[in-house]
Amino acid sequence: MAIDERLAAERAGKERNASFELAMEATAEGRAPGDAGAALARASLWRDALQRFRGNRAAVISAIAFLALLAFVILVPWLSHEDPYAVNFAEAYQPPSWAHPFGTDEFGRDLFVRVALGGRVSIAIGFAATFAIMGVGITYGSISGFIGGKLDNALMRFLDALYGLPYLPFAILTLAIFGTVNFWTMVVALTIASWFTTARVMRGQIITLKENDYVRAAHAVGARWYRVLFRHLLPNTLGVIIIFVFLELPGVVLGEAFLSFIGLGINPPKASWGTLAQDGYSAYQTHPYLIVIPSLMIAWLILSAFFVADGLRDALDPRAREY
Amino acid sequence: MALLEVDDLRTYFKTRAGEVHAVDNVSFKLEERKTLGIVGESGCGKSVTALSIMGLVQTPGRVVSGSVRFNGRELTTLKRRQMEDIRGMEIGMIFQDPMTSLNPTLTIGTQLTETLSRHLDLSRKEARKRAVELLEEVHIPNASRRLDDYPHRYSGGMRQRVMIAMAISCNPKLLIADEPTTALDVTVQAGVLDLLEELREEHAMAMIMITHNMGVVAETADDIAVMYAGQIVEEATAQDLFDRPEHPYTEALLGALPKLDEPDARNGRLASIPGRPPDLLSPPNACRFAPRCKYAGSDDCTTVPPELREIRPGHWVRSAHPASERVREPVGVS
Repeated sequence: MAIDERLAAERAGKERNASFELAMEATAEGRAPGDAGAALARASLWRDALQRFRGNRAAVISAIAFLALLAFVILVPWLSHEDPYAVNFAEAYQPPSWAHPFGTDEFGRDLFVRVALGGRVSIAIGFAATFAIMGVGITYGSISGFIGGKLDNALMRFLDALYGLPYLPFAILTLAIFGTVNFWTMVVALTIASWFTTARVMRGQIITLKENDYVRAAHAVGARWYRVLFRHLLPNTLGVIIIFVFLELPGVVLGEAFLSFIGLGINPPKASWGTLAQDGYSAYQTHPYLIVIPSLMIAWLILSAFFVADGLRDALDPRAREY
Repeated sequence: MALLEVDDLRTYFKTRAGEVHAVDNVSFKLEERKTLGIVGESGCGKSVTALSIMGLVQTPGRVVSGSVRFNGRELTTLKRRQMEDIRGMEIGMIFQDPMTSLNPTLTIGTQLTETLSRHLDLSRKEARKRAVELLEEVHIPNASRRLDDYPHRYSGGMRQRVMIAMAISCNPKLLIADEPTTALDVTVQAGVLDLLEELREEHAMAMIMITHNMGVVAETADDIAVMYAGQIVEEATAQDLFDRPEHPYTEALLGALPKLDEPDARNGRLASIPGRPPDLLSPPNACRFAPRCKYAGSDDCTTVPPELREIRPGHWVRSAHPASERVREPVGVS
């Protein structure tokens, strides 16, 4: 099952980090690092989470839906013979058919390929902006929480002030200042006013973790601050970070779609789901599929990501679940 | 010269309601290879004393005054980095709850070797070898295999053994054990205490054993300091303290121990000390035990704070009514 593989890969990646040194030593001693018993023992924190995730049917189905969507946007432009940019007025406004599963637009371009290509753009921007949000939020939040005291207070009051910034108007303003819309300006515009919550949550996490006995124990054996932060605090926030990636992603994709819809999207002939929906809007009375299909795609991504986030939260932090 | 000399240590915590005098005028000496037991009820300042020695008191707490001389070095004025070099290297510490004292996301081996390589110049291979030896030393079976396990595969007792291994990994001269057996099953406690004693002997360490369990200090300590409301109220050799307790509080503590060999043991009520410890926000400028003391009467012990005095060689007490000086009967028998 695809979801298993993905989570297993995630888990393996994390373990590789955690057990890197030991694996090195293990090989040095001539023992296979992938020793089945040891691997099992090492995996169990994440194995438990995977088990809980599997038990959540909505989460599993949406994870499959999410992966199917990814497969669609990656594979279709690759396998299709249709040229997404070739203008052919003879085939304009064709309703969905076998030759064109999603129909064609006003220039006779095949929408199936264009939706997949647009999805690539939307999802790529979505992930890039999400990681940018994570990067800024985690850095800001952990500095604030870790150092604490007056600096923490100052940083948090500053954040309170920033919270007043409305997300979309600020994104529009940012794009206006840049003057051009491309992948990177879009990422900046979507990040600039949406990392505040991540920063707050990270600060809270770090402060909670700081009170842990093993952090005190680390201090008691003389650990320096960077060891405490990077070895004991940040790795323990990984679960929250993974959940936040899937919580932020839909918001960012929706933001991108909105900006595209009001005409601040990437330039034609390239397209994202937002610009496709905007193109379709001009002819929605005669050819409703032009706007319905990209909108459904956006809805698909948002819903599946939300349910995955929900499932991950239950799986990674079982105590937080309400009974 | 003693290995550790604590003199007039005061650690206060700033709170919204005022300053909490968690440790107030604590002084003691600890010779090499000796064990000092610090006993007292919850909140009497035992742990804060230990954390103050280690320089681990966190804000809003602060060591306000006093000195901690370890091996001839003053610790309270050291820079943070110098103190970090001493922690784990020359002074080891064990905490109360072994279930939460190990990072759940790192293997036992990683946590042990990191402590080792933090202070000692060891290669990875050497550090790992030493880690296995340490686990063997604290009697973890199958040490070399268990090294790659995550903490959740260890039981509470084993985790405490790992914590002990970590604390002694760099051969410290002083080991501070802050209630090392409180969170453990009774059956495991004895084993951990035996292990501590064995290691103290082998590594020629001095030890501070913090506990509220009289039985624990009776077994392990050479000297015992009894703390009450942030102060040491009595200090003596273990033998002398148990045989001839002087302070009314110590007497009451010992009296509160259930005696299984008494005929009425199964039916009678357990003895307790009436009243509650004073609020450390504004400790009374008098004997802090006076409100609960059955010997406190009309004399000045409720208005003048008693000093710690040597009532006989090696036996210090902070009370106006030590047992050997008492003449009259208690005013109100409880």
